[in-house]
Amino acid sequence: MEFSELIRTGQAQAELLRGPEMPPLRGTLCVTGHHLLLSPGPQATPDLWLLLLRSVDSIEKRVAGDAGTITLRCKDLRVLQLDIEGVEATLDIARSIEALSSLESVITSFPFFYRPKGLRLGEAWHFHPPERYYKRVARETRAWRLSEANEDFSLCPSYPRAVIVPRAVDDDALALSARFRHGGRFPVLSYYHAPSGTVLLRSSQPLTGPQKRRCADDEELLRAVLAGARPGARGFIVDTRSAQAAKQARMTGGGTEAKAAYPGWKRLHRPLERGRPLQESFVRLVEACGDPEQSMDRWLSRLDGCRWLSHVKEALSTACLAAQGMEWEGACILVHGAEGTDSTLLVTSLAQLILDPLSRTMAGFQELIEREWIQAGHPFQLRCAHSAFSHTRPKHEAPIFLLFLDCVWQLGRQFPLSLEFGEGMLLALFDHSYASPFGTFLCNSEKERCLCEVRTRTHSLWSGLNQPKEQRKLRNPLYVPNPLAIWPSVEPQSLRLWQGLFLRWTHPPEPSEVAWEKVWQIATDQEKTEGSQPTDSASEPQP
Amino acid sequence: MASAPTSKYNSHSLENESIKRTSRDGVNRDIGEALPRLPGETRITDKEVIYICPFNGPIKGRVYITNYRLYLRSLETHLEFSHGVRGLTTWSQLKDASLQDSALILDVPLGVISRIEKMGGATSRGENSYGLDITCKDMRNLRFALKQEGHSRRDMFEILTRYAFPLAHSLPMFAFLNEEKFDVDGWMVYNPVEEYRRQGLPNHHWRITFINKCYELCDTYPALLVVPYRASDDDLRRVATFRSRNRIPVLSWIHPENKTVIVRCSQPLVGVSGKRNKDDEKYLDVIRETNRQINKLTIYDARPNVNAVANKATGGGYESDDAYHNAELFFLDIHNIHVMRESLKKVKDIVYPNVEESHWLSSLESTHWLEHIKLVLTGAIQVADRVSSGKSSVVVHCSDGWDRTAQLTSLAMLMLDSYYRSIEGFEILVQKEWISFGHKFASRIGHGDKNHADADRSPIFLQFIDCVWQMSKQFPTAFEFNERFLIIILDHLYSCRFGTFLYNCESAREKQKVTERTVSLWSLINSNKDKFKNPFYTKEINRVLYPVASMRHLELWVNYYIRWNPRIKQQPNPVEQRYMELLALRDEYIKRLEELQLANSPKLSDPSTSPSSPSQMMPHVQTHF
Repeated sequence: MEFSELIRTGQAQAELLRGPEMPPLRGTLCVTGHHLLLSPGPQATPDLWLLLLRSVDSIEKRVAGDAGTITLRCKDLRVLQLDIEGVEATLDIARSIEALSSLESVITSFPFFYRPKGLRLGEAWHFHPPERYYKRVARETRAWRLSEANEDFSLCPSYPRAVIVPRAVDDDALALSARFRHGGRFPVLSYYHAPSGTVLLRSSQPLTGPQKRRCADDEELLRAVLAGARPGARGFIVDTRSAQAAKQARMTGGGTEAKAAYPGWKRLHRPLERGRPLQESFVRLVEACGDPEQSMDRWLSRLDGCRWLSHVKEALSTACLAAQGMEWEGACILVHGAEGTDSTLLVTSLAQLILDPLSRTMAGFQELIEREWIQAGHPFQLRCAHSAFSHTRPKHEAPIFLLFLDCVWQLGRQFPLSLEFGEGMLLALFDHSYASPFGTFLCNSEKERCLCEVRTRTHSLWSGLNQPKEQRKLRNPLYVPNPLAIWPSVEPQSLRLWQGLFLRWTHPPEPSEVAWEKVWQIATDQEKTEGSQPTDSASEPQP
Repeated sequence: MASAPTSKYNSHSLENESIKRTSRDGVNRDIGEALPRLPGETRITDKEVIYICPFNGPIKGRVYITNYRLYLRSLETHLEFSHGVRGLTTWSQLKDASLQDSALILDVPLGVISRIEKMGGATSRGENSYGLDITCKDMRNLRFALKQEGHSRRDMFEILTRYAFPLAHSLPMFAFLNEEKFDVDGWMVYNPVEEYRRQGLPNHHWRITFINKCYELCDTYPALLVVPYRASDDDLRRVATFRSRNRIPVLSWIHPENKTVIVRCSQPLVGVSGKRNKDDEKYLDVIRETNRQINKLTIYDARPNVNAVANKATGGGYESDDAYHNAELFFLDIHNIHVMRESLKKVKDIVYPNVEESHWLSSLESTHWLEHIKLVLTGAIQVADRVSSGKSSVVVHCSDGWDRTAQLTSLAMLMLDSYYRSIEGFEILVQKEWISFGHKFASRIGHGDKNHADADRSPIFLQFIDCVWQMSKQFPTAFEFNERFLIIILDHLYSCRFGTFLYNCESAREKQKVTERTVSLWSLINSNKDKFKNPFYTKEINRVLYPVASMRHLELWVNYYIRWNPRIKQQPNPVEQRYMELLALRDEYIKRLEELQLANSPKLSDPSTSPSSPSQMMPHVQTHF
């Protein structure tokens, strides 16, 4: 397919309004295969304004007289206005943007064309999360093994090639367990908590169906988990659905673990909303945040009504529950909902951040996202196809990953020294998960990424983010490794609206940027002072 | 410093902190009982009681009462939550793991007590049903249960009543008994002549008058006033007859460049008949004419329009267009002291003892507290904008000009003048716009007064401090002081340990010789300044701060209003702590470096060739690495 077929017009004169805080830009507007360009004035070099078309969430056009206006609402929640000379030009540009921003083909997307200077293809795809993580686990316990039973993705299309499973269970048993689990997602190890020797597992719902089917291999798998932990160890199954919803799922072939079938395991239900209610909550919140209406006396009840902060609270509480079970109760925890690709990952990844100091480092956090979200098969392409502005009815969209980032932000706010990365990192992850020049968040699973050759044909976001020039924006200068668990407060007044994200484009970020800069100054000053010994400097030969 | 799961979150950290603080100040302790005592503080009684802690249940303890404080130490160690997650009762062992042993301490200055009630009677049944219920001014209540036999609570009730409400018992307030000594004298912080000189006053248009030296012109104004050069003292006397309580328009602040001013006063005495006063009209015109190029003077009436109209019935009112041709009047819709008091009461209802969890935000909204904050800030922003743009000089008044007017002028000055954002500058601002201009602290707070339901009480000053906190949130680098500074001011607003906030006006303070007989709060703060410094402070001259006064950007000051609740994660800002450590380390290195540089001084000839430190905060630091 040629992009040129979709581009109706080469260029037009336009003025770009980027919100109240930024000066308007005038220049020549131009649509290319992946970008919208605005080049101001005749000078060839100065600031070229560039927008990835993929990041356009919705487009609105209006014409009046011989000019037109296009309003672009972006996936990063920015709202841009383009005033364009000429009615035809306006309509053509609008149609081109519409067509190009909604292309569904992965391999024609921009990451497959993006070749930034200074980065080499294949770099930073060095992450082999299950393998790397298995090495960590193997140092601590012999109860687990790395299985490549899913090498060809036949057991479970949404799992990576390698997964960590109990040593006592062989690959044939895994295959049987996979057939008993929704989408083949049999219980696998998500996190090994060395201090208590317990584990966090994740899976999808068992396919008990109305006849309450059982699967001996699945039961054996969970039994082996407890046996591997320590004699008499207990387990908790955290089902992210309500007891009623779990019961109802039987009618459609799903269900939940019967108590009698899994001795030693106790089920807890902690319903977390996902899917459409979550997406709607997100849409309502963004609407409220962007409401230009000045009389916002009802703001708080409107914020309340969006229920976004309740979702944050529920997600954090459930993660705390799982983490406490391991840390204090010495219990093994299995988390699942229905498919095990959304709320499940939210809970397991947050629980790890709470418990595991390594996951709070820059490298560890990247690895956590790679392992617990990307490789674990969170369907990014489906969930992040549109953000909060799309007019089309949401099908599979849901801001689960954003909810995760928000929860991490709340952790960072409550424990300002304990995360090595700062708000900038979380904002970058949000932006890139919805539209990115990098390949990291493409597709829905490892299987799809293999088919599209994402690893060999696109650049990894991690290599982009780990460049030295990005660090000042992404790192937390005050980070001090904290070996302990960080228990967040989930009381409603401890949770805040993430202004840095939801009000990013409506409020001048300058004061907080100045403060951030200040923190950096202090921290780097400190390093310099610490790094050089006064004695050395004094004995330095002077010219 | 790093947060820990097992880090004991001490629900009473504030009290503990105050012990540490007082002991640093040279506080004596009763040996064996570890009761902190200030110089001048005497022990009255002690008693075994059960403290009914709203968070942890009944706790047996011994309560000590002095002429300054109520101090409780638990006899047994008690259990408390160390984390914020609840609803875990299904986890049997969890309970034990999540609760920590520690002795509980309550350290409450008697000044914060607003009401003491007897709970239950000699025949009341049920456990812990007989005792005392204490309502505090700082967003908490205390409840003690006593033994029913022998009227055991009677003497405790009487002693508490006596020392918490000394006014009703012809006793002195503790501030007059306090014998604390500090290196710095806080009473020297504010000198009106110096402050006006800093503003460039007097000048060609404005003069300093001593007409109120003996408080004869206006008994609630300070002795020293700044008025237009062209208005004679006789003019001032005539204007005074037309202003409520003689609070004539006087200068609060002058813009250093465009010379527009903020003027404060009370409402004109227009009355139902619509009286006019030529002298007042002329006087305002003289104020306008101090800036030649301006043809309209802006008057901000802080009240809602309807209230201003209603005030005519009691002889007050506002400047009409007919009478004041060269002025334009705007109403700022800020409600009166009664509305504010009720609003704060509602805030207390939803945060103490338990936080209203379901629909927290909606409940918060229904208190209207943040909405009032918004209106006050919006009003101050308008005043600041008028003046900084040089559009016109501004006159601010409400009814009497000591509540909303003080809020507006002081906040506008804080936005306009970076000097007031330093620690001493802020002390001067409070001392000037609030204390010297007669904000009725004694009536609004009710120091030592038992009449808890007095309609004169109102959290106007707290509201101002809240607005300052909101600003400091939005401009993290603009203020020299931190949150702790604002909280300690509020704590001692009630404590009666210092003379700073006692009495309603300067004339009363002078009569009582407050500056001679009491210690100033600024003495405590300024001899301990590092503790109150904001690590991110970047000194900036001439930057006007315009906070966003939209509901979206205002938040409830959790660390103040909900500080007694142990479930609120309330870390002593670790960023600051870390910063202080770093700074101390850096200072040490710099000192060593300087010593070495001194020893090697001939080698360092040209400082411009050496890389300069990236720090703007300490420009004198030249690191030669």
